[in-house]
Amino acid sequence: MLEMQGIAKFYGDKAVLENISCSFTAGSISLLIGGNGAGKSTLVRIMAGLSRPSAGTARFTGEAASSRSRRTGYLGHATFLYPGLTALENLRFWSDAGGMDLGEDDLLAVLGRVGLAPCARERAGVFSRGMAQRLNLARVLMPDPDMLLLDEPGTGLDAASRVFLHQEVLAARARGACVVLVSHDVAADAPLADRILLLDNRKLAFDGSPSDYDAAVRAEGEPCCA
Amino acid sequence: MLRLTLAVARKDLLLTLARGNGLVQALLLGFLLFFVFSLSQGIGEHTSPQGAATIFWLSSTFCHVLIFSQLYALEEVNNARLGLLLLPAPIQAVWLGKSIAGFSLLLMAQAVFLPVAIVFLGQNLSGALLPALLILLLVDTGLCALGSLLGALQGQGARESLMSIVLFPLLVPLLLAGISVGSQAFGTLSPDGPGMWLKLACAFDAVFLAAGLLLFGFLYAGDE
Repeated sequence: MLEMQGIAKFYGDKAVLENISCSFTAGSISLLIGGNGAGKSTLVRIMAGLSRPSAGTARFTGEAASSRSRRTGYLGHATFLYPGLTALENLRFWSDAGGMDLGEDDLLAVLGRVGLAPCARERAGVFSRGMAQRLNLARVLMPDPDMLLLDEPGTGLDAASRVFLHQEVLAARARGACVVLVSHDVAADAPLADRILLLDNRKLAFDGSPSDYDAAVRAEGEPCCA
Repeated sequence: MLRLTLAVARKDLLLTLARGNGLVQALLLGFLLFFVFSLSQGIGEHTSPQGAATIFWLSSTFCHVLIFSQLYALEEVNNARLGLLLLPAPIQAVWLGKSIAGFSLLLMAQAVFLPVAIVFLGQNLSGALLPALLILLLVDTGLCALGSLLGALQGQGARESLMSIVLFPLLVPLLLAGISVGSQAFGTLSPDGPGMWLKLACAFDAVFLAAGLLLFGFLYAGDE
């Protein structure tokens, strides 16, 4: 579904990613791990088409990652929410802007899925970090995207919301979506994954199944930066 | 594309008029200009029609810069710009949506500026009003097409400061048209009439609209 070949990224003289090649298939969950500054977020932004690689190509079944003809759900460090709009108005805007035909009942149902239905008419600006993240999740999941890129989605979420997040990630895979999940909580998120990719020192240091990763950890010790 | 355009325009108008500071800042700046220029008149004197039209368009231009800075700043709060870039629609829809919202807000501001010009600068609408209305719409279209294009530089550091440097020289022909036809509405007699200025405004509108459609995608980008 998504194929990356020889991806490198430089900010000025500083290399952030070097020679990353990997591919992602539909109906799979890939867990992307690595220490702070390893380049995980940069790689995910390249996958989303929000950042151009300095070298290499990221292609989405034949079309460039920056193409607008597909549906990508991207949850990054920023929430993309308008603080002056209510939760319902935020979802309505992203629904209308994305060309979805969702009525108020549909939008309230989406808010209900993330536990925000009682706050539907409250402004997003007064939400806590966790509530904003749940609303952000609702925005990302609303269009049933083909590609789901989640950059540390657990940030600010309570235990119940994390369970919901895991359920939604599994449901997306079952629907045939390609899910890439960036996380620092390997123990919690690895059981979901079909595959683990470890970024270390700007390069792809490991790419394999969770069982192979466990075996590598047992043989060589915990990767220092994961 | 139309859905994204309308969604952006509706959201911007809602946030600006119902949830934000609205046009307060832009209107205050306009009022200040009218007030300061009214002080330049002696007791019992009136500003010339051409002077009044110039002050009207000067206020409108500054107001439009503030409007578009405000409209594009809405996306910078939580980086919603990236969300717009991911939508499966041409990104020019954002430019068009912001242009429509800005056009509406500018017309609202001008609806306030016009009576202020009449009262503070001692004018009356004794000239041809239809050409004046036409030129108002044409000049506003050009202002908003260009304002929305350059507003995309909002939040991009040094490039943002280019906005005013690039914007004002490009707007000169449109402002000349607005001032000339506006002064005729305030009573100046012109042997040439408004025809030439209307054609000039149409030509510049076409150029600015085409430039917006062609260039917006390059200016409104991700993190580079």
